[in-house]
Amino acid sequence: MYQNFAPIIIFVTIGLLLAGALFIVQSLISPKFNKGGEKLATYECGEVPEGSAWIKFNIRFYVIALVFIIFDVEVIFLYPWAVVYKSLGLVAFVEMMIFLLILVAGFAYVWVKDDLNWVKLSVKYGKGRYSELAAKEESSP
Amino acid sequence: MSNLLSLSDYLPEMILLGVILIAIVMDLVPATKRFTKGFILVGLILVAAFLYQGDTSASSLFMGMSAHDPFGTFFKWLFIIATFFVVLIAKYDDGMDQSIAAEFNILLLIVMFGLFLMATATNLVMVYLAIETVSISSYILAGMLRNDIKSNEASLKYVIFGAFASGLMLYGFSWLYGLSGSTDLTIIRDVLMTQEGPVFVVYISILMVLVGIGYKLSMVPFHYWTPDVYEGAPTPLTAYLSVAPKAAGLALMIRFFTMTFTDGAGETVANVDWTVLIAVLSAITMTVGNLLALRQENVKRLFAFSSIAHAGYMLMVIPVISTDSSAAIMFYLVPYLFMNLGAFFVAIAVSNHTGSYDLAGWKGLGKRTPLLAALMVIFLVSLTGLPPTAGFIGKVYLFSVLIKHQQFYWLAVVAVINSVIALFYYFRIVREMYFTDSDDTEPLRPHPILTWSIISCVIPVLVLGLYWSPVIDWVTASLKMF
Repeated sequence: MYQNFAPIIIFVTIGLLLAGALFIVQSLISPKFNKGGEKLATYECGEVPEGSAWIKFNIRFYVIALVFIIFDVEVIFLYPWAVVYKSLGLVAFVEMMIFLLILVAGFAYVWVKDDLNWVKLSVKYGKGRYSELAAKEESSP
Repeated sequence: MSNLLSLSDYLPEMILLGVILIAIVMDLVPATKRFTKGFILVGLILVAAFLYQGDTSASSLFMGMSAHDPFGTFFKWLFIIATFFVVLIAKYDDGMDQSIAAEFNILLLIVMFGLFLMATATNLVMVYLAIETVSISSYILAGMLRNDIKSNEASLKYVIFGAFASGLMLYGFSWLYGLSGSTDLTIIRDVLMTQEGPVFVVYISILMVLVGIGYKLSMVPFHYWTPDVYEGAPTPLTAYLSVAPKAAGLALMIRFFTMTFTDGAGETVANVDWTVLIAVLSAITMTVGNLLALRQENVKRLFAFSSIAHAGYMLMVIPVISTDSSAAIMFYLVPYLFMNLGAFFVAIAVSNHTGSYDLAGWKGLGKRTPLLAALMVIFLVSLTGLPPTAGFIGKVYLFSVLIKHQQFYWLAVVAVINSVIALFYYFRIVREMYFTDSDDTEPLRPHPILTWSIISCVIPVLVLGLYWSPVIDWVTASLKMF
């Protein structure tokens, strides 16, 4: 049974050889001077980046990204469904409606829990690390 | 069976899914918000009713993905009982964040759905999907107390360990698939049976599969997450994690190993000696769990190590390839469910009063609240495995498998020594309750529902210790696997 793995080994070997060959070829033909200035910029013909990309993002971006995934997955599944819909008929319709129903429940959850708003007005801090924060917010306005 | 036909055997799961969806929406509508918990409890009873109605034949569902058999149904009953108790009790733990109580219950139901899949999976893809359904919901549940730094820690440690274990298990699956060209457990067995020559590859894949399942069982050396997660997670979830996913892990292990790694005639497949491996791991698991539990000052950590030790006891019989060993494990899980849930519920009642899970808070409980202390003693006696409780009968069945099949006598000796070690740390709690005095003499007043849940956990522990033949009959009838 080990010979069944032979194609994999051949594949890996050729892959490694090819990658090595590319390095050798580029070191032979690339110019050895003029490596500065524009050449080293992140985007040679675009915006000049400001600061580092390694900063703390607001956690709300992640919520938005998650909500985006809900609808993204929904749309992606709808495409193949629409293509084969005619040949599958009623079963496909019912199955897709169940799928959409589950997603709509998720959407309703996000909506009611105020996650579609950038500033969450309804958020309540329980006891623990942020209880002092809650007291401050109540007194400020 | 084809997909649509399979649905008729899949009614409990479908009802469970419906309950989950309706409960999510109910929690969002202000008018129905306060009925959510009641609805979930009614829904669980409905799932149980349909499980009871379901036929007892064994069949394969969804084109070999999942099985419908008495073996799976037995475990489903355990999951329903555990979930029911935990949903019922969660509200009365003062450490819980009540603003997310509904989410907690709904996520528990999703875990339960994953456990249902885990106990019935007969395909590698389904095994992985089931384990991930359980794990991902458990990660969120462990971090449910958002403002508690211990809970955050628990969630993060759980995720990192879980991801690593699933990764290794998936790698093992890929070896199995590479060997056999199929993800179906029985087909993999058929291919492994024809194997000649070196069995090195089979060793590796068994080892990798063992990592994934061992992580769910908190088997040593994959137990490192257990104490921290148990300590940081909300206590009702800790009670649940120590019982339900462990039972599901054992169900999966029994099914996986009997279907794939044995030849059906009491021998291991392809002469791979995995029985010795599991025997050694089981001995290490119970010893490490018991020894580390000795010096714990936090009750939740103590029970975390005790649950590791119990996983070791149950793993003890898996090396004996026989239906006797599955029967012994299944019988042991019934009292284990009740005694562990009960012990955690008493811990909740005590911590509602003291505000922490330190063992020092249990001082003088025997005088302050005689009822709770007496119930706790019964749970501890049963966890140690002393008569006349169900824990003793369960242990007798586990030991008798090793003696009857005349294999692994040394393992039985290790287990007996471990039971004696366990006696020491369980009775440290008893000593705190009865033989030390506390400045605080105020009696505990747990909510009546909490008290009655503890009492209803103690009844099976005592009754099954004296009259256990109905359960052993039920277990014997449930041995039929697809």
